[in-house]
Amino acid sequence: MSNKLTSWFKLDNSGKIFPEISNQRETNTFRIQIALTEEVDPEILQMASLGILERFPMFKVRLKHGLFWSYLDYNTKPFQITKMTHEVCSAINFRENNCYLFKVLYRNNLIAIEMFHALADGSGVITLLKSLVYEYLKLKGYSVMPDNMIKTKFEKSIQEEYEDANEKYYNKKNRRHIPEKKAYRIKGTLLPNNNTGLISGTINTQKILEISRSENLTITEYITALMMYTIYTTQIRYRTHLKSNKVPVKIFVPVNLRKHFPSETLRNFSYFLKTNMVMSRDDITLEELFNLVKNQFSEGIKKEELIRKMSENVAFEKKIIFRFMPYFIKRYALKIGYNMLGMKLNTMSLTNIGKVEFPKSIEPYIHDITFAVYSGKFNTVNCGIISYKDKLKITFTRSILETNIEKEFFRHFTDKGLDVLIESNYVEEFI
Amino acid sequence: MKRCDKCNITIITNHKYCPLCHQVLQGENDEPIKEIYPDTISVTRMILPTTKKVIMYLTIISILFLAIINWAGFNGSYWSLIPISGIIYFWFLVRVGIFSKRNIAFRLATLTVLMIGLLIFIDFDTVPDNNGWSLNYLMPLLLMSANLAISVIIWAKRLNYRDYFFYLLVIIVFSLVPIILAFVNIVTILWPSICAFLVAISILLFIIFFFPKLITEEIQKRFHA
Repeated sequence: MSNKLTSWFKLDNSGKIFPEISNQRETNTFRIQIALTEEVDPEILQMASLGILERFPMFKVRLKHGLFWSYLDYNTKPFQITKMTHEVCSAINFRENNCYLFKVLYRNNLIAIEMFHALADGSGVITLLKSLVYEYLKLKGYSVMPDNMIKTKFEKSIQEEYEDANEKYYNKKNRRHIPEKKAYRIKGTLLPNNNTGLISGTINTQKILEISRSENLTITEYITALMMYTIYTTQIRYRTHLKSNKVPVKIFVPVNLRKHFPSETLRNFSYFLKTNMVMSRDDITLEELFNLVKNQFSEGIKKEELIRKMSENVAFEKKIIFRFMPYFIKRYALKIGYNMLGMKLNTMSLTNIGKVEFPKSIEPYIHDITFAVYSGKFNTVNCGIISYKDKLKITFTRSILETNIEKEFFRHFTDKGLDVLIESNYVEEFI
Repeated sequence: MKRCDKCNITIITNHKYCPLCHQVLQGENDEPIKEIYPDTISVTRMILPTTKKVIMYLTIISILFLAIINWAGFNGSYWSLIPISGIIYFWFLVRVGIFSKRNIAFRLATLTVLMIGLLIFIDFDTVPDNNGWSLNYLMPLLLMSANLAISVIIWAKRLNYRDYFFYLLVIIVFSLVPIILAFVNIVTILWPSICAFLVAISILLFIIFFFPKLITEEIQKRFHA
């Protein structure tokens, strides 16, 4: 980073909260994992990751604390890849990880990046992972081409990759704060030792696209509605008299704002759509939810609404009293606020990364891609979707023992005659 | 490949049951497969090593004994606070000085400041007619040696100077305290304070003259709001 103007930068607006609220259970990490068609050679992967970090100085940082805010500072220590353990999206121990905010994991034919959300979002990690895989394959001696889809290590990093895009599109006039209520929590038996269960199902992209097109919906809308319906049938139906079932079910669906506002940033630049429905009736149908999700999504995706959400958060950060509050007080303020309310605003987060594309020359080496997010004490089941070629992979991570939601969810597709290929980390076997 | 009849799904695994409905799977794998995710290893709780337990036990017992003896034969002086603070400093020495993974500049700076605090405490807690030695001699001399030590370390390990730099600044700022105390006549013996001040000011000026960017950047980093 010697050629840069400064060797440090501020956390971006949406990243600011994560270092203060994360702990062993609420880890705020996510994983993107590529399965190659052959075994991974750790030594070459290590070399590739060192080479790639020179291209992405944005990721060669460590977290430090100043008088008022945490910030990211240039990391002088070397990066080290790690062998994958049973932990999925666990808290990153910065001390053991040479202070880096992400991990590169390997096992058999898998290469995975686990990223702390303070640093980047899914889109940024996809960029990093693509470059890493390209570099790895290149070092292995295969003739692969970047085809302008991949940032290679010989490129220079550009300043736009560092920008805090939230601040760029912040609008002072459109920052109304809308208070939110607590959401429904999926109940279950917590897994001990902060373990995370993982179940992913691979479905043919084309077929799932046909199903959702037949309802006039996008894949995300279809899956979100289905998820609400699954939560309703497995958890709420016929028990609507309970007080805890009278709160709204809210599915948190992040949107990649790079598609809506021009930005090259690799840091956090995503906001969310949210479905919201009190499901205290005995006769809710899936068709009804299709309409609801469609309407609520089209409301939420409007430019003014996205800017409002963005500005709401930026405005909070810009409050004078909050800005000049010493870090150690601010930290506890954020922690208490988050634990009392912030954490409880969503029932489940459902992230669709979308289609990941690789150059033709790399495609033969890649089997599939998995995307998983952490699951915590309140969001006990979370879902990540990613598609590569004709494989749409829906991954559930859960911090509870029960697998009802996964079961009902996938049975919906098998009842429609689709093939579902299941993977699991079989966490229940070991506890 | 194995199948679950009930869920109607295909599974790639060596396990015998379905992850969704926990029913027994049908079919066999045609060829041996490697499990995709590693087996979960149950994490055993970290138990304190025996040595640490022994020392911890002895510490607590001695603090308790000292406090009780002092209280039982109380004659107006809280003498037990001196050995107790010594014991607590020992813990800091072990924890920060030896077992901490933080960088050496941080450790030196922390231990120096703590040591000064401890010595001032001992000085003013005990003999009423002979105090002032900690402020007159030890505080400036300790600060001066910490200053020199961190500077030498930064000079020697030029690779990580960014990580160390902040602590050097902290010690330099602390080194200005004795000379201020001399102005208000709390410090009576001047030469150690003047030495510490001169060393600190020459290091500070060296940084300002030769590495001006470093100092502005460090201030921006730590104090941005």
